[in-house]
Amino acid sequence: MDREPSISRRDLLRGRFFRGDGPGRDAAAAGAEGAGGTGGTGGTGGTGGTGHAPAPSGIGRRATLPIHRPPGAIDEAGFLTGCTRCNACVEACPVDAIVLAPPRFQRAAGTPMIDPHTNPCVMCADTPCITACEPRVLRPDQPLKMGVAWIETMACLAYTGSFCTVCSERCPVEGAIQVTQGRPVISAERCTGCGICHGVCPAPTNAIAIMPLFDRPAPAARAP
Amino acid sequence: MLTVDRRAFLKASAMAAATAAASGASRAIALPVLEPRDGAPLRWQKAPCRFCGTGCHVMVGTENGRVVAIQGDQKADVNRGLLCVKGYHVGLALYGRDRLTTPLLRRDGRMVPIAWDEAIDIIARRIMADPKRFSFYGSGQWTIPEGYAANKFVKAGLGTNLIDANPRLCMASAVTGFLSTYGVDEPPGVYDDLDACDVAIMWGNNMAEMHPVLFSRLVDRRTRGEKVTIIDMTTRRTRTSDLADHVLYFRPHGDLAIANGIAHLLIRSGTWDRAFVEKHCNFRQLGAAPDERTAPAMLGVPMTFEEYARAVEPYTPEKVAELSGVSAADIRMLAELFGRRDIRINSLWCMGMNQHTRGTAINCLVHGIHLLSGHFGRPGDASTSLTGQPSACGTAREVGTLCHLLPGGLMAANPEHRKIAEGHWNLEEGRLSGTIGHHAVELFRRFNTPTAEGGDISTIWVQVTNPGQTMPHLNRNFRPKRDLDDRFLIVSDVYPTATTELADLILPSSMWVEKNGMYGNSERRTQQWFRMVMPPGDARDDCWQTIAVSRRLLELGHAGMKDRDGKWLFHTTDSGGREVPIWSWEHYYDVNVDERLFNEYRAFSRHKHKDLAPYAEYVKARGLRWPVVQHADGSWHETRWRFSGFDDPYVERGREFQFYHSVSGDDRALIWFRPHEFPPEMPDDEYPFWLCTGRVLEHWHTGTMTQRIPQLHRAMPKAYAELNREDAARLGIRSGDMVTIRSRRGELDLPAWIGGRGDPRPGDVFVPFFDEAKLINLVTLDAYDPYSRQPDYKKCAVAIERRA
Repeated sequence: MDREPSISRRDLLRGRFFRGDGPGRDAAAAGAEGAGGTGGTGGTGGTGGTGHAPAPSGIGRRATLPIHRPPGAIDEAGFLTGCTRCNACVEACPVDAIVLAPPRFQRAAGTPMIDPHTNPCVMCADTPCITACEPRVLRPDQPLKMGVAWIETMACLAYTGSFCTVCSERCPVEGAIQVTQGRPVISAERCTGCGICHGVCPAPTNAIAIMPLFDRPAPAARAP
Repeated sequence: MLTVDRRAFLKASAMAAATAAASGASRAIALPVLEPRDGAPLRWQKAPCRFCGTGCHVMVGTENGRVVAIQGDQKADVNRGLLCVKGYHVGLALYGRDRLTTPLLRRDGRMVPIAWDEAIDIIARRIMADPKRFSFYGSGQWTIPEGYAANKFVKAGLGTNLIDANPRLCMASAVTGFLSTYGVDEPPGVYDDLDACDVAIMWGNNMAEMHPVLFSRLVDRRTRGEKVTIIDMTTRRTRTSDLADHVLYFRPHGDLAIANGIAHLLIRSGTWDRAFVEKHCNFRQLGAAPDERTAPAMLGVPMTFEEYARAVEPYTPEKVAELSGVSAADIRMLAELFGRRDIRINSLWCMGMNQHTRGTAINCLVHGIHLLSGHFGRPGDASTSLTGQPSACGTAREVGTLCHLLPGGLMAANPEHRKIAEGHWNLEEGRLSGTIGHHAVELFRRFNTPTAEGGDISTIWVQVTNPGQTMPHLNRNFRPKRDLDDRFLIVSDVYPTATTELADLILPSSMWVEKNGMYGNSERRTQQWFRMVMPPGDARDDCWQTIAVSRRLLELGHAGMKDRDGKWLFHTTDSGGREVPIWSWEHYYDVNVDERLFNEYRAFSRHKHKDLAPYAEYVKARGLRWPVVQHADGSWHETRWRFSGFDDPYVERGREFQFYHSVSGDDRALIWFRPHEFPPEMPDDEYPFWLCTGRVLEHWHTGTMTQRIPQLHRAMPKAYAELNREDAARLGIRSGDMVTIRSRRGELDLPAWIGGRGDPRPGDVFVPFFDEAKLINLVTLDAYDPYSRQPDYKKCAVAIERRA
């Protein structure tokens, strides 16, 4: 691994996109290791882990840091102060996709998140997690966007001479994955980052990674 | 032998993809340079893929007795390193958690483990008691030696022809098409035609999903800047349609009219190839209709060109448009392409034309328009059927594990052919039966009919296939057995299936690289592999099972198990001439039984110019396409284009083409006239929809292997009913709603899928058959082609309603 570029393929596939990304570097090196999936055998590829640990306080200019929040989440700073860690959204989720962030997420530990690489959000039409959120850090007036999917074309069967259209067929959001000349293309605008495409990707090395959203907008009127 | 550690492999498989993507024009995922790294080295060996009839080769990496890695084999002509989604995961097919590992016998309604000796003895005694009511049933998943052993066991040993196989449900109409046209089975063309053709026509063939590696071979020519026109003739939009230049939607059975319409226009416009036809073709039409009891008369009666021209006269573009639903302009477009001498046309088909109550007819018609227009026998000019099973050609068709065949394309009903076979097998004259056995549907119908009502088959031994899921009209052809106490179903398999569910005796089998094997793919390519890992538990080779039962029958005194000199049919000696007890599992691998059986079978391959090389040649090669002939220097050479003077060593020197197995005996091929006819069941007021069944990319056959591979299962977990958007809107059905599909024979609930992977024409519904929890064959019709006896899974009338 010593001669590899600073962003290795493995890191890309594990969703670690941000190595060497300015001030977050130290935290990334300290916190993001160990979350990766293990490559299987017989051509099974596994990816796991997501997002990044939030940087130590006071170093970033950004308002939010990449952690994969449930749909309808407000801006990260508001989320961290507003979320009461009541677990209501975790209990409301019908597929147990919402989990509590592990300690490596430091300040965000214990707040709700989704690991789209192990258990994707299924994009419920009635968004029970949002309904359950009393402190209104998950809000119906916020975009449902959690992140964005990214196709690693070097691993995707459709880009490497074979045929496959599974991700586009199973995507719950109309128009988020379009097939052009047999190859899937993700619309970064429409994709919500739910992670279903990653779960169904049958490529020997999973070709889809989900990136959490960097900047979520603050709500128009913050809840009291 | 390559060595590489696992970590390097995992890295390599991803990097290989990168290489292909970067080069753009490359069709295959290129193999990376594999450098030995630290850690235990993998052992890499070649094998054909376990799944479909394409015959891709894979490199299998093993470590500590397990298959741990798969790569496309760059040295293989067929796939040049590329695999489809199934192929990349083929190694995992071995490791489903519910592998069968011990023989199981039904006692008081429960399956209880028994010892192998007891299982073999039960089968032998069952056969001994009533050999004429026993039948074998296998498939194109039998390896060549396995099929050969089963065939010899039944035909030489038991003196019956009671053996049939899944290719009856799959390739039989292609066989009758080739036989009627060229007098000998299997395609004259090869996959190289895909590289050379200007126009590829899919006759009801979803190649992008069913033969993805071949379709890649075709469409990747476009990325190299070559022009290839793809015409998709289909009853539903598929992934193939997405990449086609022209998509022609036709009504079920409309293909008969389209082919005749092309012939009509070729003659009317004078663009048929007069020189080719006058030199190399005769015209034929149907004689007397076949009846159930006798072998169908495949020869027909001669007709003149003028009579032929008159016969296709009514098939004007307008008339064809009315019958088929394809516009007159598109029919003209097709005929103009066939009328051109400056382009090469490759017609391709699979189940769309074969699973057809007029399957023989449409096969003959498509060969016919290629002959009539001279689009034959040059690279790119071919009419080629593709197979669904890895050795449908190699085993069922060439070894002849069907109820009317003997090995090497010899016919059981032909006394001369029986004599030849008796010679090869060293049997006394008259041992082989001239009465043909029961074709698959008839066989299972008799097995499921009480003896008093004419059900005269009491024991069936199923190996390597799953009729409990694939038989049409299961309520008639498979399930009644449950209530017939005197019936005994023996099933050799690797996983529990819809067939083992009704089995009385289950035998655990080895699969794929857990045994030595040989397959023969769609393009006449014979392939070989060695055992690489051991089967789990007490699982044993199918071939050994057959041989062990034969030995037990010999011990019980069955006279048929000996040849005319009193030697056992499977007598095997070592290099010192001492007998090797191959009936005992401990000694089965003391010699290479595959090699012995194959070299014995080879002798049969000469009679129909299907010459096979010695076993050792296949060990070295990534398959060889027969006829494989030896040159003066001792080297062996395969043949690509059969009947073409430039490539086929059996064409007389100086002749451009020679159909040396001609039905008419004058070295000419036959152009058949067969009329358009309507199918036996058509939609009406009560059952207003056409039901078509088929496959999906991720699953192979009945999904018993691929459903156990997590990646494939997640990608395609269950069957569905694919509905046309307008129909769905009219019936108030949305994607995900449960619908009931009902025919006169049965019904099934399925989730609807609208605007998904495919889109049927209005009035059609498509359901895949891979899902053992959703058996669509409860609904299908068991009507079959009168010549090939292949059932039609593509058309029957159903009603659809939304479930509350």
